[in-house]
Amino acid sequence: MTSQTKKGKPSLLKELFKSKSALTGIVILSVLAGLTIYSVVSLPSNISYTWQNGEAWVLYPIDAPPQWINFLGFPTAPTINLSLSQWTKETISAGAANFSEYSASTTFKWSSGVFPQDLAFEPMFSGNASTIALTWVKPQGPSILVSVSEPASGEAYEAQSQTFTNAASQYILNQTGQYVTQLSKQQVISAFFGKLANDILTSSPLSGTYQVTVQVLSSSPMNMFRSLLVVVGNSYGLMGTDNQDRPIDLGLLAGLPNALEIGFLVSIIAVVIGIVFGGLSGYLGGKKDGLMQWVALVILAMPVLPFLVVISFTQKLNIFLEVVFIAALSWPFYAIIARTVGLSVKSQAFVEADKAMGVPWYRVFASHFIPRLSAVTVAYTVLGIPGGILTAESLAFIGIGPGNLITWGGILDTAFVNQAAVFGFWWWVVFPGLMIVLSAIPFVLLGFAIERIIAPRVSAK
Amino acid sequence: MWMGFGRFVVTKAISYFLVLLATVSILYLATYNVIQKVVTSSAAALGVEYRQNLLKTSGAHLTTQQIQVLVTTFQQSYLAQFGFNQPLPIKFSIQIYKMLTLNFGQAYTIIWNGSKSVNVIIAGYLPNTILLFTTATLILIAIGTLIGLLAAKSAGTSWDRIVPIIAVVHSSLPAWWLAFLLIAGLGYDLNLLPTQGMMSVPPPTGALAVDLNVGEHMILPILSLLIVGLGGFAYVVRSLVISTMGEDFVLTARARGLPESRILFKHIFRTASPAITTQAILAITGSFGGALLTEIVFNWPGIGLLTYNAIFANDLPVVVGIVFVTTIILLVGLFIGELVYGLLDPRIRVGSD
Repeated sequence: MTSQTKKGKPSLLKELFKSKSALTGIVILSVLAGLTIYSVVSLPSNISYTWQNGEAWVLYPIDAPPQWINFLGFPTAPTINLSLSQWTKETISAGAANFSEYSASTTFKWSSGVFPQDLAFEPMFSGNASTIALTWVKPQGPSILVSVSEPASGEAYEAQSQTFTNAASQYILNQTGQYVTQLSKQQVISAFFGKLANDILTSSPLSGTYQVTVQVLSSSPMNMFRSLLVVVGNSYGLMGTDNQDRPIDLGLLAGLPNALEIGFLVSIIAVVIGIVFGGLSGYLGGKKDGLMQWVALVILAMPVLPFLVVISFTQKLNIFLEVVFIAALSWPFYAIIARTVGLSVKSQAFVEADKAMGVPWYRVFASHFIPRLSAVTVAYTVLGIPGGILTAESLAFIGIGPGNLITWGGILDTAFVNQAAVFGFWWWVVFPGLMIVLSAIPFVLLGFAIERIIAPRVSAK
Repeated sequence: MWMGFGRFVVTKAISYFLVLLATVSILYLATYNVIQKVVTSSAAALGVEYRQNLLKTSGAHLTTQQIQVLVTTFQQSYLAQFGFNQPLPIKFSIQIYKMLTLNFGQAYTIIWNGSKSVNVIIAGYLPNTILLFTTATLILIAIGTLIGLLAAKSAGTSWDRIVPIIAVVHSSLPAWWLAFLLIAGLGYDLNLLPTQGMMSVPPPTGALAVDLNVGEHMILPILSLLIVGLGGFAYVVRSLVISTMGEDFVLTARARGLPESRILFKHIFRTASPAITTQAILAITGSFGGALLTEIVFNWPGIGLLTYNAIFANDLPVVVGIVFVTTIILLVGLFIGELVYGLLDPRIRVGSD
């Protein structure tokens, strides 16, 4: 027996690599594992708090579709993040006073035929800056001067802010001689991106290279940090944004580790309990079997979702508790499967022989059942992971789960509450659900392949 | 011949009643603290109502103190009904009995037809869930069995290749997410089918028109449940049928020259049907949770939507009531499944083991 398992292990892997679907599963699983590591390493540990904090997402477009729909023939404005980090310092002497001037510049290319949603400038520095001058040079020459008086580090100046509307008014006055006040955000954006016509608003933005130079003037030396200039388009990244400007792809990435963790733990706990319980039940037989089947039925009859809802009212859930409760309610499914394996092993001649020799039942169970059941355990643990993920995400969808955890179900819940399907924000609905399905595929492919390989072994003598 | 079945029904009924007792006891112990909170808050709410009634009817004759005494006595007697003045074991049995007889106290905020009584609220929503879920399940079992049988007949390699796809759909596709997609695709964009609630606003007149209207509202919810559940169930039926196909009596029937379809439906299906029933029972328990969430997305006024509203409103008594009622409903469904199993399995029907 032991020699068989020793021989069996390498060939299981070998056979797995022979199967095309298992290989596909392994490839997808590696991608998921890579993304999980990337998620854990790259996202800050307080991401779940940042996610809830509206302030953190002001530089992102609202309800924006993914950027790539451009290629499908839907013209959109991309979101461009420009950073100003290479600051050069110059000292200017004016009479008795010495001024420090820090300057940095950047350029970007604009080719979209659609105006962006917003424009935001976020200077970052330590020390006292007296003024910041931002010079915005459009592709065909004319430039706009934006001056920020008494600038504050970390403050985001947006197109609607006085800073930008004043600059746009001044620019229009310089160019046309007309003084226009109370510019809307749209008009400010057209002043910065459009060709200046008599009615200010033009139909399309100028394409070409825009140049932005920022000069910070201070009476005392300061430290300049990476400052941001963001052209907030009406499309964002791979998967767009939600109604609180949050990028969906970031949320999905943040939800990946906990989904896999919950899925795996739920599956392994439920499968181990179920297999041992069901295997024993089938092996013991008779009245004990009847009683154990009855116990399994009792648990099977408890509806997982309502039960966890009520539990969440009795105590605050954390990942561990959620896993334990889901697993505690889902093992009977595996017990039913394992019982049939137990029954089939029981009828084998070597079991009868051991029994006849007076070997105690637990030793028979350990030497003949456990090895056969362990193969089944591996297969069903892998196959059970998607179920665990699905249950956890379903609970998150109705607002049940560990607090402050970013989950795909939670993102879908906000999509539902904000009627994303009605407003046509398909990216907000499609991608989180696709993640749930996608995360299941490798486990199903691998689980089936393992099951197919071990199936003859389980029934073999 | 039916003697055996009668005995089967009785033993199953006893066994299921014991299961019910055990499940409800476990639920009760798991939610003990919550239930005490629900009962005391219900007593408080009913006390307020009672005081207002007293003031309205006999406010002139009674002093405030007398009213206070009456209200306190009233509240005490309500708490006594739930065994609050009894030793713990008796309190347990009284409260478990209350749960079994669907006595869940008063809701905090949710009202149905003017009543705040939890059992009235649940009774208002439950029929809609039963209507939707039973219809979906029956359709799933019927179509799934038929597809499974036909697929087994033409057993080849093509089916084996789509098994992983079926498994992915079955184990990971959330019916409620599919509901979103169906709403976005068929509901709003194409405007083919109603996507919200169970009746149009304003509702049509005439009984037949109402029934048709409700039926129309059921199409998309049922469709999303079918897409998720059908493939998996059909696959199980197919495997069961294939394993039966190799048996001797099938060969005998073939040797007798019976037509293939007759063998398939009369012989193989009859033999495999008890096992199919077991799988159907498992399918029912497995898809129940998904069905509840699907109600939410379609705004179908059933237990699932009620759960969502209760979570949103923090309405503890309603949540407690729902978990007990759904458990009981699920057990009734399983029991009916067992009875069907008994009807189909000739060994049980004639009473031999």
